[in-house]
Amino acid sequence: MPARNNGSGGLMTMGEAKLALSISEEDLLRANVYRLLAHVLRAGPSRAELDTFACMTGDDTPIGKAVTALARVAAGTTPEDASREFHDLFIGVGRGELVPYGSYYLTGFLNEKPLARLRTDMARLGIARRDEVSEPEDNIAALCEMMAGLIVGDFGNSADLAEQKRFFSAHVGSWAKVFFTDLEGARSSVFYACIGQLGAAFMDVEGQAFEMV
Amino acid sequence: MAKGNERVAAGRRDFLKLAGVSAVTGTAAIAAGSATAEAAAPVEGAAGYRETDHVKTYYKLARF
Repeated sequence: MPARNNGSGGLMTMGEAKLALSISEEDLLRANVYRLLAHVLRAGPSRAELDTFACMTGDDTPIGKAVTALARVAAGTTPEDASREFHDLFIGVGRGELVPYGSYYLTGFLNEKPLARLRTDMARLGIARRDEVSEPEDNIAALCEMMAGLIVGDFGNSADLAEQKRFFSAHVGSWAKVFFTDLEGARSSVFYACIGQLGAAFMDVEGQAFEMV
Repeated sequence: MAKGNERVAAGRRDFLKLAGVSAVTGTAAIAAGSATAEAAAPVEGAAGYRETDHVKTYYKLARF
């Protein structure tokens, strides 16, 4: 676990810092939102992470309101609570309450054409699934991680906005808002309802911002 | 970059600034740092997401 760092220097990892010259602050902030979403959608948050979420303050925007709600709920959530929610939502007995894959949302089935199209684009962009990972690439956490990586250049050069827009429109924008809205309203969601609210608000902002590109 | 493109980029940045995206700043160190730490040996050009319990459920759903 890295040292906690709430100063402005905590915006970037060392590796990202050298890229910051060519990436605007707003784009780094977008990458941070994607990383946060990816992180908590991969596994439940730790105590330290919940404590950090509890310290966040939001303004009157939809994202700000979601952050305020997340901070309030995180303060009353234990890692065990969050982990149980995560299990009920995504793992379950047989299946979780939600199935967080693009192909499933877009076609009703796993492993369909949307996944094939994603793999084609990943190959073009030089993104590969790690060998030991057997999970399909169109999982929401993986896609959020890829968006963050495209923004900051984890996969080589950072992708320009036109490329980010293409990737977002093809693989994220078409279903992620629906998924996050489902997450917000899911029976098992309390902490994750706030993640759903934040994700849905962020997808709206991303969609609108990409319309300006 | 052409002047028009710069104007569009500036408009987009202003929009993002007003959209409250900066509220999520406080978590950046932990969220970014943990994601990196989870990729045990980052492979150049590879997405660092790791195997999770999603996999088991996925295989159940896919009837493999």
